[in-house]
Amino acid sequence: MTVEEREQRWTEAMRAERRGDAVAYERMLKEVATALRRSLVPRLARVRLGAHEAEDLVQEIIIGLRGKRHSWDPARPFLPWLHAITRYKLIDFTRQHRRDARRRVDLPFDDWLEITDPSADAANRSIWEVDRHLAVLPVGQRKVVRAIAVEGASVRSVAQKLATSEGVVRMTLHRATTRLLEAADATPAAETLSRNVHDKHR
Amino acid sequence: MTSTDDLIHSLASTAGTRQSASLQTAFTVTAAASLACALLLVFSVMGIRQDFADMAVRLPFAFKVVYSIALVMGASVVVLYAATPGASATASYAMVPAAIFLAGGVIFDPTGFPIMGTINNAVAICVGRILCLSLPAMIMTFIFMRKAAPTQPRLAGAVIGMLSAAVGALAYTLACRNDGTAFVAIWYALACAIMAAIGAIVGRRVLRW
Repeated sequence: MTVEEREQRWTEAMRAERRGDAVAYERMLKEVATALRRSLVPRLARVRLGAHEAEDLVQEIIIGLRGKRHSWDPARPFLPWLHAITRYKLIDFTRQHRRDARRRVDLPFDDWLEITDPSADAANRSIWEVDRHLAVLPVGQRKVVRAIAVEGASVRSVAQKLATSEGVVRMTLHRATTRLLEAADATPAAETLSRNVHDKHR
Repeated sequence: MTSTDDLIHSLASTAGTRQSASLQTAFTVTAAASLACALLLVFSVMGIRQDFADMAVRLPFAFKVVYSIALVMGASVVVLYAATPGASATASYAMVPAAIFLAGGVIFDPTGFPIMGTINNAVAICVGRILCLSLPAMIMTFIFMRKAAPTQPRLAGAVIGMLSAAVGALAYTLACRNDGTAFVAIWYALACAIMAAIGAIVGRRVLRW
């Protein structure tokens, strides 16, 4: 589900709540709680607050969301409203629970949008698959391909990092893609990857 | 997880219960009532200035009124911004007209009255009276803000202070005997700044939810 779909879904649920639809509202609150947990547990772990405290915070946020639900204007987007309340409750909570906190907690809007988007799991999975195909390569070639094709580094930065010339990097990349193409004769998925790599960095 | 689910279930059961008034309506009522209180204090305790009919048609008075109104309108917009989670921060531009009046009043003062006022304690008396007139506004606007959802309590408190002083200043234009444009521009702004500081301190404690 993309950010836009999530925004639409939850906006519709908030409107449904105003019409009295408790079922839709409850479903939305549960989804929000799950998303909150995903984004807040790591943040609280950084200031050494555990899962139990995270659950307390999630409950406080949900209570606040429902208590102040009338402060949301249906003509305006929902996620910024949700973000503002979440951030306020998070900062208030950590201030209360960690009077000695030297590190301060924050929740920038971009991070918030990223975490409410569950496609992060899909991205992690495809990287693993790529690694599987790259396993046929020797270590040096694998490093170069991974840096350029997967992480999107430039040839120059890879050359600097490995303390070689750009020409050497390009040659390595060429050899690596040749080998991947040979392996690709057996598996069609790797072919698409290696063809793209080959053409882009010719 | 299940205790949260139970909590959600019981919270969701109140779906559809209406709120008595929208945020904007509640705010307008609060602002109007606080201005009425300030005016009442001016009429009853301070007294309107003797030469009111005479000065009311001249530029210095017009400047005072327009300046105070600019402060009230600007601060009102920012108060509503502070009351709404996730509102757009471009609301702060609403303070620009008041800032322009402040700068203009200081730079282009056509009246030629002294900045420190005509009598010895003019500044202290003026600022002190505005602060008194702004107290009812402060209390009422804080009550309003507690019903709203301020996600930045210190900022919300500060703009409540600023609005209260602006309302006090607007009421005070009826009683203020100092007509220097620069005088008005600076010292009315100072009253706003003082109330903003007080409001921020109060807001941090009172506006938690």
